[in-house]
Amino acid sequence: MSYEVRPILSALLRNRTGAVLVALQIAIALAVLVNALYIVVQRAEKMGRPTGIDVDNVAVIASAGFTQRFQTVPSIQEDLGWLRSLPGVVAATVTGSIPLGDGGNNEPLVTRPDEQRNYNYNQVEIDEHGLAALGLRLVAGRNFRRDEIQPPLTKSDVSRFVPEIIVSRALAEHLFPHQDPLGKVVYDSNNQAATIVGVVDPVMGCFPSSDHPDWVYFVPRLPFPFGGSLIYLVRTQPGQRAALIPRIEAYLAKSNPDRVIDWVRPLNFFRDLSYLSDRAMEIYLTTVTALLIAVTCLGIFALATFNVSTRTKQIGTRRAVGARRRDIVRYFLVENGLITTAGVVVGCALALAAGYWLSLEYSLPRLNLYYLAGGVLVLWVIGQLAAWQPARRAAAVPPSVATRTV
Amino acid sequence: MQGYYLRLALKSFGRNPGLTALMVLAIALGIAVCIMTLTVYHAMSGNPIWWKNDRLYAVTMDSWDPNRPYRLRHTDEPPPEMTYKDAQYLFRSGIPERKVVMYSTDGIISGVGSVPAAHLATRVTTADFFAMFEAPFLYGAGWSAGADDPAQPVIVLSRTENEKLFGGIDSVGRTLRWNDHEFRVAGVLDDWFPRPRFYDLNGGDFQQPDSAYIPFGWGTELELLNNEETDCWKPEKLDNFTDFVASDCVWLQMWVELPDGASRARMQSFIDEYWGEQHRAGRFQRPRDNRLTNVAGWLRANHVVDTDNRVLVGLAFAFLAVCLINTVGLLLAKFLNGATVTGVRRALGASRRQIFTQHLVEVGALAALGALLGLALAAFGLVAVHHMYAAAHNYERGGYQELMHFDSVGVLWAVILACVATLAAGLYPAWRIGRLPPAVYLKSQ
Repeated sequence: MSYEVRPILSALLRNRTGAVLVALQIAIALAVLVNALYIVVQRAEKMGRPTGIDVDNVAVIASAGFTQRFQTVPSIQEDLGWLRSLPGVVAATVTGSIPLGDGGNNEPLVTRPDEQRNYNYNQVEIDEHGLAALGLRLVAGRNFRRDEIQPPLTKSDVSRFVPEIIVSRALAEHLFPHQDPLGKVVYDSNNQAATIVGVVDPVMGCFPSSDHPDWVYFVPRLPFPFGGSLIYLVRTQPGQRAALIPRIEAYLAKSNPDRVIDWVRPLNFFRDLSYLSDRAMEIYLTTVTALLIAVTCLGIFALATFNVSTRTKQIGTRRAVGARRRDIVRYFLVENGLITTAGVVVGCALALAAGYWLSLEYSLPRLNLYYLAGGVLVLWVIGQLAAWQPARRAAAVPPSVATRTV
Repeated sequence: MQGYYLRLALKSFGRNPGLTALMVLAIALGIAVCIMTLTVYHAMSGNPIWWKNDRLYAVTMDSWDPNRPYRLRHTDEPPPEMTYKDAQYLFRSGIPERKVVMYSTDGIISGVGSVPAAHLATRVTTADFFAMFEAPFLYGAGWSAGADDPAQPVIVLSRTENEKLFGGIDSVGRTLRWNDHEFRVAGVLDDWFPRPRFYDLNGGDFQQPDSAYIPFGWGTELELLNNEETDCWKPEKLDNFTDFVASDCVWLQMWVELPDGASRARMQSFIDEYWGEQHRAGRFQRPRDNRLTNVAGWLRANHVVDTDNRVLVGLAFAFLAVCLINTVGLLLAKFLNGATVTGVRRALGASRRQIFTQHLVEVGALAALGALLGLALAAFGLVAVHHMYAAAHNYERGGYQELMHFDSVGVLWAVILACVATLAAGLYPAWRIGRLPPAVYLKSQ
């Protein structure tokens, strides 16, 4: 069946400004839609990566000793003892930096002494309750034992290492590809050795935005606050965290006059903060793209409506000489389809160009062509839908209009 | 005449209220999105001390590992911070008019009446900091270079901190305890928030300035560690603070103020000479890369305006383009639809020029409405974004939030953008309608 493309096309070409404008809108809309979606999906994937951490049930406490009589170890023991005795608390540990908090300690590890140290890995200090306090899953080996937990570093032995470490599976795989990491020995920046006693998976460390947020290792040591704060991590029973946070804050703020409690906060707070720019980007791109599509649709709709109203007489004439209602509908849909197709073709070129620019800016892989195919389909369908109602209105024009003068 | 055209325009709006609303909305949305994005971009890309752009220079030396660059991604970038020993040596130079070596640490202030002890970010800095970066004093002043070493127990507070501790009074001469050591207030800064915080970008580009400042000598005296970025590459024992300050770890920010090109050249050769000596002695085994970077260059090198911001500006303009193209199409359709009336007017003696002006007035009225609504939408949008960043604001790393406000520049942009864009969009339809031969439209169909 012929869709009367040729007469429609020649009519279009005689009055092309409106058509060109609509096609141009569709082209830009396609380029934006496809690339925005590509970025949004990447951000969503980034934020959706497993952390292995029971983020929704962990509270974070920052405690900073400041007087000259403040003693780190007794203070830690007292605080942890009280925290662990609280009903509703599953586990509590002490560390030096906030998991997922975008700050912490990175140190090199190598598999042979004196090997070139090319990478730093996120080092996290915990005690024997650390894995439980984070909700991490041990997939091989064992947890730290109580007697393995070392005293904090002091200003006079800052380079001291530990004999045992627990590593993430990703780090184990990076250091010892395709080997069983348990029992393997690694060396720190001063060639001090440690044995891998356990492997956890999945896990994300303190730097969610780094290239390898899962290159993490845990050391059995109490933290040295380096002039900053000690960080307690408290994991509660599901649903109990919100009620426990004010209680914890109130008690700890008074329990020791030689320190201050900076804050007690849910771990989600820090994760969200680390992902703030990704989240903002996601919201912004989605909103603007949706608006852009809406504006384009309304434009198509309004223009089609106008076209119909200016052509009432022609439509009436066509009806009078025998065109059926669906011929009229088809005429407008084919016309709109031609415009949309032209727009989409130009849009593909624009989308690829924009995608190329983005891939350079973000040093990311080039735009996935499935997105382009999807975008083309979506815009085509939306374009036809927008023209549907005006086309129906055109079909409703009675043949008698042809015989009237304006 | 213009008043008459305006009345005609309003009549014309009334004839197609839906279409008019759509056009105004399209213009408004396009402008709102552009304004929001540009406001943030403008704030992020600002140079907060542009008048000293060619006087202030960040000093960096590539003291990093001979076997690998400091950054694996950007291999040509040296470490942004200095080692203690290099900074100490260069600081002795008499070439710069002013010079500063500094870092940030954690401190706890106590001992002020019943005010509870609290943590606060403290800058450990040499004396020129305030004069160099033009930090304004509300009360008192900074300290002299003599107070840096041996370190005098003086402290400068931010205005906010002074309000918290002393209720905002002139607290110069009062004492307080900083990390349990007694300090005397030497000065209180007035409100001061350079955005971005160019002199130290380690804690976040838009972080607030520190709450307190103490002389640099306290760093070694109290063995204060850096609470921001400290990077080490060399396998070396760091068993005490003496080891640390003698190490190849980088952790200090260094800036110099050089009044002219000649002093700059002298400073550069002074650094290069030092590099040469050290190189011969076995340090600095990477290619020579000693830099004096001005403020604008420093902000660029540290990627303060990130890719996201640039992408969003591109998106905003694409959006505006769609909105305007939309408007052109709709205006064209609308004007051509009214061609019969225009034909009559032409036949009655209106010139092309008058027809053009009449339609341009209509477009102008549309633009004004769109700009107003766009401004309102942008204000609303910025409030929404503000809320999104509220979380960050309550944390120490706040500062982004302050970027999300209208400034006079933003409003000006809005108005200019709205007028230029819409008039540009309306020009073609108005011209086109003026060109129509009146006879065709006068004929009865």
